[in-house]
Amino acid sequence: MRETNKEWLPGFDKKFAALTHQMVKDLEKCLQCGKCTGQCPAAKLSSYNPREIIRDIRMGNVEKVISSHELWLCFFCSGCYAVCPRDINFPFAVSMLRYAALAQGYGWEEVKKIKDPYAQDYYETGLSVNINERNLGIKREIAKNSKTDGSIETVRKKMGLPAKRRVSERAVSEIKFIADATGMTDLFKEINKKKGKPKKWNYGSPADLVKIKRGANQKFIDVEEEDKEKVS
Amino acid sequence: MPRQEILEKTKISDRLFLFQPCVGSNKYPGLITSSIEFFRKLGIELVTSDDQTCCGGFLTFTNVAQPTSTMPAVARNIAVAEEMNLDILTLCNGCHTFLTEFSHFMNDRPPVKNVVNTILSMIGREYKGSQDIYHSLEIIYKVKDRIKENVTRPLTGMKFATHYGCHYLNGFKKTALDDAHMPTILEEIIEAMGGEIAEYAENRTCCGTGLTQIIINKEELSLPHTKMKLDNLNHAEPDAAVVVCPYCLAQIDRMQQKLNYRGAGQYEVPVIHLVQLIALALGVDEVKLGLDAHAISFARFLKKFSSLQSKKEVEHG
Repeated sequence: MRETNKEWLPGFDKKFAALTHQMVKDLEKCLQCGKCTGQCPAAKLSSYNPREIIRDIRMGNVEKVISSHELWLCFFCSGCYAVCPRDINFPFAVSMLRYAALAQGYGWEEVKKIKDPYAQDYYETGLSVNINERNLGIKREIAKNSKTDGSIETVRKKMGLPAKRRVSERAVSEIKFIADATGMTDLFKEINKKKGKPKKWNYGSPADLVKIKRGANQKFIDVEEEDKEKVS
Repeated sequence: MPRQEILEKTKISDRLFLFQPCVGSNKYPGLITSSIEFFRKLGIELVTSDDQTCCGGFLTFTNVAQPTSTMPAVARNIAVAEEMNLDILTLCNGCHTFLTEFSHFMNDRPPVKNVVNTILSMIGREYKGSQDIYHSLEIIYKVKDRIKENVTRPLTGMKFATHYGCHYLNGFKKTALDDAHMPTILEEIIEAMGGEIAEYAENRTCCGTGLTQIIINKEELSLPHTKMKLDNLNHAEPDAAVVVCPYCLAQIDRMQQKLNYRGAGQYEVPVIHLVQLIALALGVDEVKLGLDAHAISFARFLKKFSSLQSKKEVEHG
């Protein structure tokens, strides 16, 4: 994609203002020193390049970044944040850019891979890691080490624990309520759709919660306006 | 922030809320039992609740849910601890990150907190922001001397390689207990129990899990990255690797099996969480440590450990 010299994609910070005000503020500070890329585990093994992503965003090539495969290669180790002389929280920016990508219809097949094993378990049981071992090789090793059938349920019983960790019915129903009331469930349904461009999603900030509480909107708009002023 | 200042702020009460990690319950159950057992020996009671679920914050960082959904979910979990008036002890770097980040976000923005509370009021809970959230390292480092006094089976003669996990030190470079680049707290705790440190160059390197990595990219980057770390770790010839995060534990433990299976080498360094190691040194029943659930066998480690113990007994007695 051709490099342009626009400062930011027109309307980018406005469009995602609620989410991106911190990111815009952060990326503006970048010195392009490249320390982030130097220590990056993903950069070592692939074409992922944090410095280049910041440069592209600042040059206005937002579309190039959010449509790229590289955006999904971050390890989220925060090493770049730890070494950054300007304290740019780059993993946060990556997360926000991924939301921006989803909002533009990119990367839905990537989040589907996470939604199925983890988020669905979270919604149904309150725990995001399933007790069933998917990797049979690991199960065989555990069976050998513990001299049992290798399932965690048996190991737990051997330790004097209940076979499964108890999560109260109240807790699970509360999680389901929060998910339904705040749009998490709707988003899961959207992620499940395999074909066709998903409908546009407004990945708002927590400020969007006000949709549930009518009347408080004004307060929130004030907060966002304040934040925008700080940016400029 | 200087270490002394943080330590002064860390308040140790007789009772703490143990925030159970998902991986700690469903993959490595030893983390929860060993921390309950060894803290009891130090006179601290750890309380758990069935109302606590997965922290929920990770859904935001893996982009499968909006921050608007995960914020109340995280606040709900903190509210469970607040109802008992207990400070929270986390065993997982991830739980610590999400609980801390989200609670700061809400505490700094009263309107956001109000709206979150509107949702929580519908399920009969309230987020106040009144309780502290601690990483296990902060609490353990603070009671280091008490641990030292209570050691019944010293780790003398055993060599340990340390791994801190990224999310605690890197992510909290301004508020964590130690420096992000050259930390020493974990080593100090191990040495207090008599253990030796096996130093290796890739100590501060990420374990390679990154939830999005192992799921989205199907180990394409994760496997070679962890291999590089393990190769370096093997040079130091440790008896075990010590971690402070269940995800690092799962990654370093399980990836060794995967690498062995694929014929990429011979990897057999047992990986142990700090709370399990302390429980071992404090003489907690070995069954409660849950070392059976690990993919890499502890047989050789425990054999060496017990032979060293009986040798010491002969010397002393």
